[in-house]
Order: sequence, then C-alpha cells, then structure tokens
Amino acid sequence: MDLDLTPVFYQLFVGLYRASIYWLIASGLTIIFGVLRVVNFSQAVLLVLGGYMTYTFYNLTGSFWLSVAMASISIGLVGVAIERALLKPLYRVDVTYQLLMTFAVSLILNDAMKILWGKLPISVPLPSTLAVGIGIFGRTYPLYMILVIAIGFAVYIAVLMLINRTMWGLRVRATWRRPEIAESLGINTSNIYTAVFFLGCVIAGLGGGLVIAFSPVVPGLGDFLIVSAFIVTVIAGLGNLSGAYIASILIGVSESIFTLYLPEIDLLLIYLIMAISLMIRPQGIFGER
Amino acid sequence: MLGGLSVADENRRSFLKFLGAGIVGLAVGVAGGYALAPERVREIIRTATITQQGGAPSTVTITRTEALVTRLPRDTIKIGVLGIRSGTWATYGTYIEQGARLAVEEINSAGGILGSKIEISIRDEAADAVKQARELVEQERVDFLIGVDSSGNAMRIGPIMPELNRVLIIVHAATHRVTEELVYRQGIKHIFRVSVPVYQDGILAAWIAKDLSIRKWAGINPDYEYGRVSWEFFKTTLKALRPDVEFVSEQWNPSPGTTDFSKWISAVMATDAEGLFTVNWAVEAITLHKQATELGLYKKLKAVFNPMGYSMDVAYGLGKDYPRLEYGTWVSGRYVWFYPPTEINKRFVDAFTRRWGRLPAYSAEATYTAIYMIKTAIEKAGTLDLDTLIKTMEDMVVISPAGVRWIRPQDHQAVYEVPYGRISGNTINVGGEAPLLTDIRAVPAFLYYRSPPDYKIPFIS
Repeated sequence: MDLDLTPVFYQLFVGLYRASIYWLIASGLTIIFGVLRVVNFSQAVLLVLGGYMTYTFYNLTGSFWLSVAMASISIGLVGVAIERALLKPLYRVDVTYQLLMTFAVSLILNDAMKILWGKLPISVPLPSTLAVGIGIFGRTYPLYMILVIAIGFAVYIAVLMLINRTMWGLRVRATWRRPEIAESLGINTSNIYTAVFFLGCVIAGLGGGLVIAFSPVVPGLGDFLIVSAFIVTVIAGLGNLSGAYIASILIGVSESIFTLYLPEIDLLLIYLIMAISLMIRPQGIFGER
Repeated sequence: MLGGLSVADENRRSFLKFLGAGIVGLAVGVAGGYALAPERVREIIRTATITQQGGAPSTVTITRTEALVTRLPRDTIKIGVLGIRSGTWATYGTYIEQGARLAVEEINSAGGILGSKIEISIRDEAADAVKQARELVEQERVDFLIGVDSSGNAMRIGPIMPELNRVLIIVHAATHRVTEELVYRQGIKHIFRVSVPVYQDGILAAWIAKDLSIRKWAGINPDYEYGRVSWEFFKTTLKALRPDVEFVSEQWNPSPGTTDFSKWISAVMATDAEGLFTVNWAVEAITLHKQATELGLYKKLKAVFNPMGYSMDVAYGLGKDYPRLEYGTWVSGRYVWFYPPTEINKRFVDAFTRRWGRLPAYSAEATYTAIYMIKTAIEKAGTLDLDTLIKTMEDMVVISPAGVRWIRPQDHQAVYEVPYGRISGNTINVGGEAPLLTDIRAVPAFLYYRSPPDYKIPFIS
C-alpha cells in the first residue's frame, strides 16, 4: 500500500495550530461568560490589540518573548479598565446592554488601532531560533507552530488547575455558580469579576503576541476571528472550558481537513457543524456549565 | 482717416493675440503631455462707418478672428471620489486619495480647467458604495465620479450611472464584466475604466507562465468575483497555449479577512504542484507569501504568479524579504512605477514621491490620470454637457504616466499594457525598501485584452 499519509498529518498539524489560536480567544470568552455572564464581543479585538502591543514592545526591547509577556499583561490591564469603567455599571441591567457595550468597545478599539498604528499590516519577525523546522517522517514542521500548539495546551491545563485546584479558583467557582451566595460568604465577587476579566484578557493578549509572528495584524482582523471563536463556544456550550478546548480543536482540524478534501465547500461545512449541533444540542455538545 | 488707422491697428493686434494664444496652448499641451484640444477660434464680423474728409460716409466690413475663451458655467468642477477607506483594504482608499490630490493640486495651481477650480470629495465605498455614490451626486452635486476599488462595488454602482446622469471613471476595480457587460452589452455609456482589467491578472499571466517549464499548477485565490474570474482566465488561457498543463489544486480563501493561509498552503503542499497562481492582493498577498515561505511551500514550488504582487503596499510590505522562487516570483500591477521609462512617467513619479514620500501605487496613477482625462475632455468639449463629454472621451488617446492609453469606444476600456517582472534581489529605498524587478516582460495590450465581438484587429485572430 503506497498511500502517503504525510500530507494528511501536515494538514492535521496546521489545523491544530489554527485551533490553538481559536482556543486563545474562546478560552477568554468562556471564562468571562461563565463567571460574569458577559458575552465579550471585543475578545478577538483585544487579541489583535495584543498583537499591536507586542509589535510596539518588540521595537522597544528587541526581545520577542519579553514583548509577548508585556503585551499580555497590558491587555489584561486594558481589560480591567474596560470591566471597571464600562461593564460594571451595566451588570444590573439586561445582558443585551453588556453585549452592546463590548461591541462598542471593539469598534472603538478598532479605530484606535488605526489611529495609533496606521492601516498597514504589521508583523514581528520570528526570532531566528524559532524560525526553524523539525523534520518528522520526511516533512518539515515549523517549530514555532509546534510551540503555539504546546502553549495553547499549557494555557488549557493552567486555567483548569487555577480554577479547580487553588483557593482562588474555589472562590471563582463559587461566584460562577451562585454569585449571591458567594457574596454572602464574604467573597468579594466584584474583585473576582475583575480578576477573571483580567485573566481572560491576558490570554487574548498572549494569543495576539503569538499570532503576530506568523500572521500580520491589521485593524478589523478581530471582526473575522470573533466569528470562528463564537462558533467554537456555541458548539462547546457557553461557559464550558474543556468543551471549548475540544471544540476549538474540532473546528480547527475539521476546517483543515475539509480544505484538503472539499475545498469548494469548506467554509460552509463549519457553519453546517454549528447548525447541526445547535439543532441537536442547543445547549452545546458539552453543555453549559 | 483717423478712424481708418485705428481699425488697421486693431486688426494687427488681434492677429498677434491669436498667434500668442496658439503658442500658449501648444506649450501647455506639451508640458501636460495630454492630448491637446483643437485650437478654437471665432470670426468676428463688424461693420464700421468711416467718414472721409470731404466725401460721403462709406461702410466697410471688418473681419477678424480671435481665440475663443470658453468659460464653464461654474467656477468649480466637483469630482466625487470613491475608495475603500476602512477595513482590511483601507490603504487602497489612501492610494486613490493621493493620486487625486496630486492631480488636483497640479491642475488648480496651473489655473484649473478653463479657469474653473477642481474640488474633490472623497467617500468610503466600504460604507455602502451605492449610497455614497448617490449622496455625492444628489447632495454634494458632484459633476463626475471616479475611483472604486472593489469589483463588486463597480458592478453595483455601474448600473445606476444613467439614472445619476454622471460619468464614472473606474480606476481600480478589475472585473471584465463592468466593460464587457455593463458598457458593451447593456450600453451604459456613462462608465469608463482607465485601469487594466483582469485580462492582466489571468490572461497575461498565462502568456508568461507558458514559457516556464512547469506542468502542474495550483491556485490559492480569494473567494469572490475577482479571484474566481482571474483563476478561470489563467486556466483557460494557459490550457490553450500549453495543452500539457494540469491544474492539481484549487483553493479558495475568504477575502477580505484571511490572515492565516496555513490550511490552504498545506493543502497545496499535499499535491505535486510545481507552480502557484494567486491573485490575493494587499495584506493578504503579503501574508500568503510570508506563510508559504515559513511553511516550506516555496521551497517545494518552482514559481509563483501573483499578478497584483507589485502593488506598492505588497512591495514595501515584504521589502527585501519578498520570496524568490527558482523560476521566479512573477508580479505585476495595473501600473508599475518604472514603466514605461518616459519623461511624463518620470515627472509623475518624482512629483508623487516628493508629495507623498513613497513610490506611487497603481491606483494612485490611475486616479491621477482619470482627473487629467476629465480636464482634457472638458477642454476639448468646452462644455459640461454629459453626452458631449462621453463622445469626447470615447476614442480618446491619453498620454499618461502608465503610457499611451486608448479609450476603446466599444467598451470604454483604456487599452494600454503593463509588464510582468520577476522579483530581484535588489531593492530601492524611497520611504522604505521595495524590491526591484528583473526580466521585465510586456506583451502588446491588443494581444491579451479581450475585445468586443464586433471589434476586429487586422491580422490578429
């Protein structure tokens, strides 16, 4: 049998890379929705902003990883500012207003990026130590992509541990389930909200930093990424962290495989998966938690 | 006697005036490099009664000619400019704006069009192109519309031009359907296009690709009108010229909006393709080239064709890192800044780089030319009457930075050629680093432009 499977493996690999980027948006969406009940429409725009920040820090420091770290923290702080100043006053009113507010934030950030960094695409060169390939079964796999996939998985494990294995995580879970009771037990839910928003935005910032070394960022990019991220979270079930990780991989990999075998309708198929999953399990494949 | 003398004097002076006007007109024509309007003269017939000393008054007829100074009905000519000013392709709106402003500044500082100043109003076609076009005409009362980056928008605005009762000069949107269907078949005479259509992207690319020893081609193209049409033209032309070629992979990326081409790149890598054809443009071209290099596709392939790959945003965006494949990275534009090496082009490039700090993008040149075309047409017609202007523009020969453009009367398409070239290892630094091209190949426009069915070129089948 001379069926060569390397192209398929490569396609799966590329799908995993894309899945990791979706995951870095969807994870933030998921924890923020889970705890705050806010659908953060600006999540992907914050990822793009993270890319821009990485670019600026890179020009200042010349170190890629330092810039990614600084950008992540900065986006976290931007997130805190958004949560405290713009979302907090809206917690008492209908959720639609929060969605509208995060949508407004994404529009404002998009234009702000245009003013600050211009309309041209911007990217950061990959550090030369990372711009190498690793040969596996006669095909070269870019080291950087392997790293991004690994970081995506590490983020998944870290967030899971943070929420399930730490004292702080316990408070988050309490707030996640029953905010009123958590409040009555002396948990400062307001701080938990801010901290979770910070965490979600840090992950988005990290995603932006990782993206910009492979694909350039440009104002408006977030509007496209958010669609895939929403599909992921809807399929997973809003607020389900493990579900979101698995759904990211499912979407990223099936996108990739469809492209290889059914390039004419690959875009349609993703929406088809979403439509079918909504019809069969409107609460998401893995259910809302 | 006194009266007689004065008449003779006046005659001589007006003759000198006439001569002077002719010389001035000629000089402007040469300096501008645009087709010169024919000298307009008018004959003035006057009768004068001369009383001679001691005799009866006699009547003489005096005839003289003088240059006619045409004045337009208003002091400002308003031109509405449409370009993409937001989103992924926003840089292209800037290019249109830069070309428009440069032309307007030049023309206005040289006295305007028959004494009237040009005023431009720029709108974002990404924000409902039809609405913007309507508002420009109905509220801002512009006399002309120029611009349009997107083929889709051109197909939407085109059909309402007769209703808006204005001329639209397209400077970028490339679908052949605008000129072949709207102008030629539906007879919408209000649309003109000064930029090369997809014949450049699909047909000419195939003319050049046929000479490379590549048999298996793949395509990664934007999934809309422009991408579909260009790939189709490329395939059918190449197949006709080289029956042995095969097309082994066809990939379609959403556009605008693709920043990650990895899955299409790896899908092409899964085949035994030797050459890649892609009409991805702007940011998406830059991204595709970068990622195809990083993922190793360009190590596997022998050549890549990217018809709009020498648009200046892509050239500057990739700079010295523009990937170079074994048989070449073949690129072009709807105008490339160094071609043809004429005085008028050199002057344009100099003026443009002085004004904007970078080499001119193709749509900047086309917009610049469109405004000069309006100027020439008005001067030639001497009126703002739409039908007269359309008649004047049809069959017009425009000497422009991109070369001699002939406005083909049947489909209102400017016929001129733009070359392809290979990305070389050398760069030029004008406000940033851009690669220079080598191996420049041009094919006469008559050979690769599709022609209206009733239009026959002698000796060419």
